[in-house]
Amino acid sequence: MKRRYRQAMEWLYIACIGVAGVVMLVMTIIIPYGVFMRYVANSPSSWPEPAGILLMVVFSFIGGAAAYRARAHIAVSTFLNMLGDKNRARTKLVAELGMGLIAIFMIKWGVQLVQATWYNTIAEFPNLSAGVTYIPIPIAGAVTLLFVIERLWCGDPPADSFTFRDQPQTE
Amino acid sequence: MDAVILLVSFLVIMFLGMPVAYAMGLATIFTALWIDMPLEAIMLKISDGMDDFALLTIPFFVLAGAIMSEGGVARRLVNLAKVFVGFIRGGLALVNVLASTLFGCLSGSSVADTASIGSVMIPEMVKNGYSRVFATNVTICGSVQAILVPPSHNSIIYSIATGGTVSIAALFMAGIFPGLLFGACLVVLVLITARRRNFPASEKVPLREALKIALDSVWGLLTIVIILGGILSGAFTAVESGAVACVYALFCTMVIYKEYKWRDLPKLVHRVTKTVAMVMMVIGFAAGFGYLMAIMQLPAKATAFFLSFTDNKYVMLMLVNILLLLLGTFMDMAPMILICTPILLPVMKAMGVDPVHFGMIMLLNLGIGLITPPVGPTLFVGCAIGKVTMEEVSRELWPFYGAMCMALLIVTYVPALSLWLPRALGY
Repeated sequence: MKRRYRQAMEWLYIACIGVAGVVMLVMTIIIPYGVFMRYVANSPSSWPEPAGILLMVVFSFIGGAAAYRARAHIAVSTFLNMLGDKNRARTKLVAELGMGLIAIFMIKWGVQLVQATWYNTIAEFPNLSAGVTYIPIPIAGAVTLLFVIERLWCGDPPADSFTFRDQPQTE
Repeated sequence: MDAVILLVSFLVIMFLGMPVAYAMGLATIFTALWIDMPLEAIMLKISDGMDDFALLTIPFFVLAGAIMSEGGVARRLVNLAKVFVGFIRGGLALVNVLASTLFGCLSGSSVADTASIGSVMIPEMVKNGYSRVFATNVTICGSVQAILVPPSHNSIIYSIATGGTVSIAALFMAGIFPGLLFGACLVVLVLITARRRNFPASEKVPLREALKIALDSVWGLLTIVIILGGILSGAFTAVESGAVACVYALFCTMVIYKEYKWRDLPKLVHRVTKTVAMVMMVIGFAAGFGYLMAIMQLPAKATAFFLSFTDNKYVMLMLVNILLLLLGTFMDMAPMILICTPILLPVMKAMGVDPVHFGMIMLLNLGIGLITPPVGPTLFVGCAIGKVTMEEVSRELWPFYGAMCMALLIVTYVPALSLWLPRALGY
């Protein structure tokens, strides 16, 4: 059961990084496309800028959840390093529970935000609900919560996890 | 009392080892519950914090810098720097500093600069008789220039922290002379050390070869022209120049230099995604945190508190420098900028300090913090690449801290250094 959960989290991480990575590349394409349309095609497009903002929200929340599993977030470990093994483990547990709390906050109030804005529209995309903008928040909250459970139940991802396979090959 | 709960809960949660971004979020939630504020408002502020077009600049410049770093541009810039300063005594150390200046203009990141220039320069300096520790120290200190010169990611974060009242273009322009001054202070230190320790000088590069090297590196340097030229001419916004720089970086390293392959891209995107998403989460949660600070009128209270110490602008600048240097040793730059700017900027404005000038002061202070223990990301990367311990490096860093503090004092007390160029260009 534990092994299967770990494997599922591995796939979830890959999915998050995949989505965030593709979104970043799409942003990198649509903004120069806007420049191209303005200067070369002489037909300015108004959509790349708001689309870039929408994609940025997806990128930030989904990528942020993945960064949590990869321990890529900035944290201050000065105090932790001063503690003995037992107290350090207890403190880490409290920190993980805090992460769980914030994940639940993102799910609960993220869903409320989506519901509250669902019937509003975005000026630049009249067919798109404003609630869509906020969907990444509860999703990221749920993913973070699953990663918190993984860390509490199974520990950190192993060294051969996909999470750590992002360094360039050295000669 | 409310403000104390916000700040103390944040510090306690952060010292428990929780990521800084989420620690800010949790402290904001606790305080919002304490003052009976609806949590929907906090959630909306956090989301709005990421809903800013200017933020797109960060992933673009980080991605462009990473592509340049892995695509052979750093090595070419080192070769170019050798042409200019390699023949002087202590030439390789000077090459290191100059290459950092040039690469900083492409990457905008101190850590990327250390990784790229350090992996080329540290082994070469060691091979030529420099101590491993000295080579590492020159690399990490040189890389701090990247946080001042355009396209500094931290300038963008500062602009966001000011609520967009300070333009990214003005900060980019303001960083050029302080960045060069910082490099010059390191050059002076290197020249003195080279004479004392009798470091070797390399041979002069023959003219024909020098021209070949210059032509080879010009493609990479064109990125600076695209970024600055695009922004200054008004052709691009900062966001657009970042995106165009990404496309050009791919073109330059894949088509012209042929050193970067499509198959390398997924790993690079994976790494950049983790780094940038982390920064974005800090920005988002800092927006919620800042919203509560504003409601509690914390910036106004902080201004009154600071002004109760002194109303002398120069004394205040010194106090702020000391405070930022101390804070910089404990936390990374992005969260420090986002937390300190809303508190300190009103104090500085009340003292008549220009926000652009204060931006440079803050960046330089926190930049020095990047290479000080216990929390110094650039120091850690430098130690890993130089294969030295933090203790060894720290023991010999003192002269470098002296040179950097000299640069800091000049930047602090000569505002024209930061303000002349942006004003001359109409920002």
